Amino acid sequence: MSTAQTVEIHVHEQACRGCEMCVDICPTKVFGFDEDKRLCTVGHAQDCIACLSCAYICPSGAITHSNYHQVKNFYRDLEFSKRMGKFL
Amino acid sequence: MEEAIGESANSISYLAGKNLGKNLSRTIPKTDNLEQALQATRDVLVKNGFLWLFETFKMHDQPDLVQQTPEGQEISLVFRDCMIRQSLFRFGHCQKGSLCTMMNGFFAGALETVMGADSALEIIHAGENACMKKLTIRSAGGAA
Repeated sequence: MSTAQTVEIHVHEQACRGCEMCVDICPTKVFGFDEDKRLCTVGHAQDCIACLSCAYICPSGAITHSNYHQVKNFYRDLEFSKRMGKFL
Repeated sequence: MEEAIGESANSISYLAGKNLGKNLSRTIPKTDNLEQALQATRDVLVKNGFLWLFETFKMHDQPDLVQQTPEGQEISLVFRDCMIRQSLFRFGHCQKGSLCTMMNGFFAGALETVMGADSALEIIHAGENACMKKLTIRSAGGAA
């Protein structure tokens, strides 16, 4: 059933501040932490579900993803938003 | 919904989801196989045009997709395109609220019809682009 593809995760070492927030938030423990360099590292990219929480939470925007499924965006679908607005 | 209805919002969403799950899964052949039941449930959602799709997920060091626990069978599900999540973001609401509970009810209804088993869907992680949930199919002798 799974249609997941292997997500590519890029950590920009010069931007990473070593706060470990990505390590804490990742539900599948994709990230590790290099104690010597004080930088986060990508340990098991194959486990990434592309929730993008790491990229959103990273205070320095050091994490980017590629080769993942971007969810459909309803923000500009006024008709859909009008209908769903009744429930929210 | 929580503001309008109050504490019962979760229960109402759960029951709405359960009814939807029962109605949509009426035509699915009965099975004891969890993977087959989930695939059939997914097909029904696609057929009816629901943007509420899920995939099974297995960690790299996990031997089997379905894990046997004292409580029953457990399987991880990843939800990507989700009409609930996208609507919540559109209106600036938090995730893991009553509308997310609707999915719990949906699975309870669908799997009760298809497998004749009680189930629980727990939100492990609610992300911006995908959510991860744990589905537990309770065995007859398992904890409720």
